[in-house]
Amino acid sequence: MSAPSIAPFVLKRPWLSRWMIPLANWYADLSGYRKIGLRADDLIPEETPIVQQALKRLPPKEAYDRVFRMRRAFQCSLTHQLLPKEEQTKSEDDVPYLSPLIAEIEAEIKERKDLDALIVSRK
Amino acid sequence: MLARSTVGRSARRALRCQCQLGTVPLGGRRGLAAPASGSFSYETGDAAGIKVASRDMAGATTTLALVAKAGTRYQSLPGLSEALEKYAFKGTEKRSALRIQREVELLGAELQSYHTRENLVIGAKFLRDDLPYFVELLSEVVTQTKFSPHYIDEELNRLMSISHKSHLANTESMALDSVHGIAFHRGLGHPLKPTTSLPYSQYISVETLSAFNDAAYSKGNFAIVANGAASGELAKWVGEYFGEAPTISYKLESGQSKYYGGEERIAHGGGNTMIIGFPGSSSLTGGFYKPEISVLAALLGGKSTIKWSPGFSLLGKAGASIPGVKAATKSAIYSDAGILYSVMSGNADGVAALAEETVKAVKAIAAGEIPKEDIAKAVALAKFKELDFGQNVQNGLELTGSGLIQQGKPYQVDDSAAAIGAVTEEQVVQAAKTLLENKASVSTVGDLFRLPFGEDLGLKV
Repeated sequence: MSAPSIAPFVLKRPWLSRWMIPLANWYADLSGYRKIGLRADDLIPEETPIVQQALKRLPPKEAYDRVFRMRRAFQCSLTHQLLPKEEQTKSEDDVPYLSPLIAEIEAEIKERKDLDALIVSRK
Repeated sequence: MLARSTVGRSARRALRCQCQLGTVPLGGRRGLAAPASGSFSYETGDAAGIKVASRDMAGATTTLALVAKAGTRYQSLPGLSEALEKYAFKGTEKRSALRIQREVELLGAELQSYHTRENLVIGAKFLRDDLPYFVELLSEVVTQTKFSPHYIDEELNRLMSISHKSHLANTESMALDSVHGIAFHRGLGHPLKPTTSLPYSQYISVETLSAFNDAAYSKGNFAIVANGAASGELAKWVGEYFGEAPTISYKLESGQSKYYGGEERIAHGGGNTMIIGFPGSSSLTGGFYKPEISVLAALLGGKSTIKWSPGFSLLGKAGASIPGVKAATKSAIYSDAGILYSVMSGNADGVAALAEETVKAVKAIAAGEIPKEDIAKAVALAKFKELDFGQNVQNGLELTGSGLIQQGKPYQVDDSAAAIGAVTEEQVVQAAKTLLENKASVSTVGDLFRLPFGEDLGLKV
């Protein structure tokens, strides 16, 4: 479920990241999810087996916080309101908490597929 | 095909072995051990501060085991030994569980892990040439196992719950745990399998497990024993791969075992088992070695070694007239204590009758009413069983490893067999008398309405 990303490419090049990071923050802010208290990882569609598995692996506190953020965001959306400034997600809080787990599960699946397709070559 | 970068050195080695198998005839490729030592004795040594022992028996396969002093006796919280056993080979920093499994399959080997009251054993059986691969694998398990909360949730707790349920369904295993609990209270008395869901619902977490892992697999707390490997070669590879095993952080301790005795009765609908236990003998290296206990176990017996005959053993003869009951007597030997026990299972009335016969038999031995030739037969059988037990690779490995960690001496089966062979009739009679003077440990699991109390059988409990 992890989308292709140019982030590693950018982060490796300081000259690029110097002007890309403020731009990315501006863009993320503009997309609005932070104003209703969500994090970027909350937006990952969860209706796939891999993400379901990753959600099961979340530590209990993280899982609770995730549900809280979603209910609050849903309420905001219903009432057509934004959260007060101090309750909105700050850019430093907007950390990936779910995508590392998803990547781990994807790696597991890929490893299994690779090993299943292993061809033993006899020299 | 895997990308080149993902194929580790070990996997490539695995593949190479496969290729050789395909081309060269098996007999020509594997040289057997040149000079077999000809004895059961293990050669011991020291590599990178780790005790190693090996027995170079001629053969194409090797059995390698890492014996850690981390059985249920030494666990700091209930269930940790079992959890660590189930966690062996389940993913390290370098390789995932699946990868280990597939590599081992390519090498045509077998992994094993189990725990007893005193030891945690992880090991493998493989073709002789693959020794370096498996020493490396064991060192990885010891130093780099990756403990993750999701594995505990997704796999470990389920395995523990299965083990818990199968334990509760089996009257014999419940009675065995119960009789150890009665005899030794804590330490050796800790149950071997989870008796409640508490271990996996409460005590096992990444923190407790990795702390126990560090203590269990620290230098000085484990030994590496191999059967069918040259001692020089084993020491060399252990020295190379186990260099970074942690030195002792905190010691897993359990005080000198003390025998208590008593009675426990557990109602159970799934069968009837009664165990009558007496204080027994420690291992040869343990300081409380009594060879006559092994002879008593053979004399009481129960299971015939000959087909279509109850055999000479006292319980065997008594059991012949009681249908639907089986009996067996065992001398469970631990490093510093032991317990001699007779297990009777079957229908409730039969078990009750046989339990009575058991007590009568012990009293008859103590009174010297047993014919001389029966005792001679028992001595011969006990000696045979001891040698047979020692020759069995699995048991030999564990006993040797455990002796090395606890006393610094490997278990020498020849010595204990000689001691058993030298047991006299007076010693046996005297030993039986001492049994009756002590408190017995009686554990009853099953239909309590019909099964007798220890007191009714004429035992001190």
